[in-house]
Amino acid sequence: MTKKSNNGFNTWQKSFEKETKKNFSDAISETDEGINIKPVYTKEDMENFSFVEKNSLPGQWPYTRGPKASMYTNRPWTIRQYAGFSTAEESNEFYKKNLESGQKGLSVAFDLPTHRGYDSDDDLVMGDVGKAGVAIDTVEDMKILFNNIPLDQMSVSMTMNGAVLPVLASFIVAGEEQGVDRSLLSGTIQNDILKEFMVRNTYIYPPEPSMKIVADIIEFTSKEMPKFNSISISGYHMQEAGADNVLELAYTLADGMEYVRAAMSKGLDVDDFAPRLSFFFAIGTDFFMEIAKLRAARTLWAKIMKDFGAKNERSLILRTHCQTSGVSLTEKDPYNNIIRTSYEALSAILGGTQSLHTNSFDEAIALPTDESARIARNTQLILQNETGVTKTVDPLAGSYFVENLTEELSKKTWDIITEIEELGGMTKAVKAGIPKLKIEESATKKQAKVDSGSRVVVGVNKYKNPKEPSVDVRVIDNNRVRDDQIKKIHAIKESRNTKAVEKALTNLTNAAKDETNLLIPCIEAIKLRATVGEVSKALEQVYGRHFAKSLSVSGVYGKHFEGDKEFMKVESKIKEFENVNGRRPRVLVVKMGQDGHDRGAKIVATSFADMGFDVDMGPLFQSPKDVAKDAIENDVHAIGVSTLAAGHKTLVPELMKGLKEIDPKSKIIVFVGGIIPEQDYEFLYENNVSAIFGPGSNIIESAEKVIDLISDNLSKE
Amino acid sequence: MELVDKIIKGERAAIAKAITLVESSKDTDQQISRQLISELIKKPGKSIRVGFSGPPGVGKSTFIESFGSYLVSQNYKLGILAIDPSSQITGGSILGDKTRMVEISKNPNTFIRSTPSRGTLGGISMGTREASIILDAAGYDFIFIETVGVGQSEIVASNLVDIFTLIVGPGSGDELQGIKKGITEYADIFIVNKNDGELKMEASKTAADYKSALSYYKKLDELEKQVLLVSAIEQTGMVDVIKTINQIIDQNKLKGIFDERRADQLEYWIQEEVKNIIASDITKRLTSKGNIPKYSEKVMKNEISMYEAVETITKDTLKQ
Ligand code: B12
Ligand SMILES: Nc1nc2c(ncn2[C@@H]2O[C@H](COP(=O)(O)OP(=O)(O)OP(=O)(O)O)[C@@H](O)[C@H]2O)c(=O)[nH]1
Ligand SMILES: [Mg+2]
Repeated sequence: MTKKSNNGFNTWQKSFEKETKKNFSDAISETDEGINIKPVYTKEDMENFSFVEKNSLPGQWPYTRGPKASMYTNRPWTIRQYAGFSTAEESNEFYKKNLESGQKGLSVAFDLPTHRGYDSDDDLVMGDVGKAGVAIDTVEDMKILFNNIPLDQMSVSMTMNGAVLPVLASFIVAGEEQGVDRSLLSGTIQNDILKEFMVRNTYIYPPEPSMKIVADIIEFTSKEMPKFNSISISGYHMQEAGADNVLELAYTLADGMEYVRAAMSKGLDVDDFAPRLSFFFAIGTDFFMEIAKLRAARTLWAKIMKDFGAKNERSLILRTHCQTSGVSLTEKDPYNNIIRTSYEALSAILGGTQSLHTNSFDEAIALPTDESARIARNTQLILQNETGVTKTVDPLAGSYFVENLTEELSKKTWDIITEIEELGGMTKAVKAGIPKLKIEESATKKQAKVDSGSRVVVGVNKYKNPKEPSVDVRVIDNNRVRDDQIKKIHAIKESRNTKAVEKALTNLTNAAKDETNLLIPCIEAIKLRATVGEVSKALEQVYGRHFAKSLSVSGVYGKHFEGDKEFMKVESKIKEFENVNGRRPRVLVVKMGQDGHDRGAKIVATSFADMGFDVDMGPLFQSPKDVAKDAIENDVHAIGVSTLAAGHKTLVPELMKGLKEIDPKSKIIVFVGGIIPEQDYEFLYENNVSAIFGPGSNIIESAEKVIDLISDNLSKE
Repeated sequence: MELVDKIIKGERAAIAKAITLVESSKDTDQQISRQLISELIKKPGKSIRVGFSGPPGVGKSTFIESFGSYLVSQNYKLGILAIDPSSQITGGSILGDKTRMVEISKNPNTFIRSTPSRGTLGGISMGTREASIILDAAGYDFIFIETVGVGQSEIVASNLVDIFTLIVGPGSGDELQGIKKGITEYADIFIVNKNDGELKMEASKTAADYKSALSYYKKLDELEKQVLLVSAIEQTGMVDVIKTINQIIDQNKLKGIFDERRADQLEYWIQEEVKNIIASDITKRLTSKGNIPKYSEKVMKNEISMYEAVETITKDTLKQ
């Protein structure tokens, strides 16, 4: 540091302290990642970098500035909106409309039964068919989904992990029957199972066989589908589940390393498959941090791949899809979400993403309507066509702040990656449940910050809209969808060659017992019109179905509220309750059906326990009948149903029925939290639901209401 | 009592309510609870009570899921009392056992109740013994009691059951040094879990360590204690476990040990109840008289010695 610049800084600091009446050091704030943010950055903050190389250029080692030299100046990012609902017919119509309106790539959202390898006619998925994505039972559905969409021209991304084998096989066969050779198919299959065990929860088999399936897919596509990305290594879901940016980045890159090793263990050379690995990140509200994250991701991956011995430059380059953050969007005052999404989208672009999904403003209410989807898409079209952001590559390079943040983020991330590697890699860590727990801890802290008001969310805990607008909602009649799907399944089962299908399924089961690449027998079975469910079951016979063992954080929420009046009020109500009733209020928190959104349920459970409730935590994927049995055997005072995937209108009445079946006089009260469109409140209340807690509910206030309701109910002896 | 009939009929909600009563800290509940237990004890069922204890995370719940699935597939009725250790000092508890017993909890032939241990020493909660009497009367063939093995808990837990099982993990041979003196007395069966995958070698070695330690401590007239290798996850070794349990029960019944134990346990229970009543009575008297603050102040001021204070307070409290 030269004397002159030092003098300049001192003068600045004095002015700063005078203006703010604060010491410079007190003006440093800490991010969720534990990174210190200073009020000003200077040239000195660009010294001593160990990850960022100051003089590198776009498309050059270590690719901090972008995977390509020209970036958007040559071709803008791909507008790729994630969508799917109801039947293949309806989703196909929706896709075609979107493509006509300027969308460039497709991204398929499957429904939860498909994700978890169940056919639409399975009793276990009664409430879930077509609700949170499109239902695909056979290759016939897949063909309808891409009707009049030429698969040799359209790149298709598919979010599929658990049932990746039958779904990718269906895609390949659908292409073939459209007359497109598999070598011409382009797009991406998510195929990232590790993050399913951590946060997304649509796994089917245990970790080891699941990892084998991932490797099979990488192997097959690297040999036969040169234009297809074999995997989309995803941090997106981790951030949505509550991870801060360092956790998101570190776990994602560590997952990536695990997949590289899995593929190499099949005898592939790293350069055979690495150019076809792709990534997926979330872009939240921390504007500069998100930009730095994408720059850091590329920097670190280049280093990682070099260490794996990659020779081909394309193996070193991280290409990514991004999605703006859904969890940053609110049910309250929902038009604010358009603004949030715009800033997040800008952040993704300044970070240099290759493709982008922007969320709709009704994100926290239901699946997007045609109208809200149009606004979301236009957010990107406006960025591309009106703002000029495509004209310069990596425009923030050289910003003292952004470069420093990129370096800091890289460092912190690298420390965690090193730690995981020392413990034996991500598969091991995931099996032990550690990353999941860390993410839940981070999510719980965020909730505490919002509930205490130390983090402002406009329209939720500050600047509330006194006149909440009511918005249109996409309604899916899942009984109708289910009936349609069942009819189609029956028709196919009648017309296909049953013997041949059975033989193909037996072959598949046998193949699972050895090292055969499973996609090959899968394609055979799918061609013969085996269903997604049948294929999944054929493998389940060998691998079994995985049940997650759930751990819980404790004390994290309560710690944030030490000495807080509202919190203590609930605590003392609970103590009072215990004195009167001889035990604490006891609440069973449950997830029913195939809905795997467990962030809210876990946060509510741990926070309620911190306040003094005894909380029974049910496993994922329970049936209403099983919940009723659990609730009655444990003699809980109340059941809290957390439901986000729109199964509530089927599942809640079933639960009520289940309770009465076991105990006609049951006094257990039921309340519901999660994504409940206003239009459904009436229905739930008519079904004897005692209270509904929507997105953005303050947990302490909710807890108080719950304890009051329980006390009221008990006094009605 | 109406409740008694319902329990004997096996009504799920009645059993659950009865367990709430015996766990309740409310005076009126405790009175009803005593009445209830007195009635139920007259109508004993045929249950065998098995305790499963072991360090946290060794796989007790997973084992019970696995072994329990096997038992219900053989048409046994199974009651499970899981004492969940995850209690906090100030707050409530998160009871997560059910996430580890997904399959058996669905089965109509099971009844699963979790109870927060509330940090009581021994990990046994108030009411566990009474709860097992309720399940017995309700017709369950087996009653499993899951407790975390810490400190004295094995002793307390073993006093509630007909067979006491210690579950350990691979590589726990080192801990053996510390616990071997006591364990031979309380545990009837030793189960080394996680005998699968990479851990197989280690598990076998641990089992061998246990076997040799046990033979060393074996008393002359005693049966050889069994060390079994299982994998809860892969569901292997389950047949051996049930065989061993049945064998021990049969033998104990034949030799009269079975009834002898139950008689001892009854004695222990009576003793504990009496102790509890006296203790709570004494506590009440102590606080109502206010002697402790009074005398400790004197000690502080050096007016009397600590032991003089103790003696005086004791005398004063015990005199009617
Ligand atoms: C985070 C998220 C995810 C994460 C989930 C991570 C996890 N482990 O939970 C990821 C990225 C993995 C994910 C995936 C999917 N998601 Co999602 N997801 C969300 C999102 C953005 C936020 C949910 C959330 O966690 N919020 C934070 C928590 C704290 O809030 P909360 O759960 O609402 O809980 C609060 C209250 O509701 C209440 N509460 C909730 N439960 C309870 C219970 C009790 C007892 C009490 C008292 C209170 C209470 O209190 C809490 C605190 O305020 C929502 C949209 C949104 N903004 O809400 C979509 C959303 C729920 N997802 C949706 C969909 C479709 C999916 C997918 C099915 C997509 C697909 N086809 O593949 C997948 C599949 C996931 C699966 N396995 O089920 C849809 C559901 C559509 C619908 N209901 O009609 C939504 C609504 C988005 C949308 N509009 O399209 N998702
Ligand atoms: N490899 C292997 N792991 C197992 C086995 N049984 C349990 N585990 C794992 O050990 C961990 C703890 O299992 P639990 O069943 O919860 O153990 P627990 O003893 O009941 O734990 P607490 O109730 O918390 O004391 C989980 O991650 C299980 O998956 C087994 O047979 N083999
Ligand atoms: Mg346990």
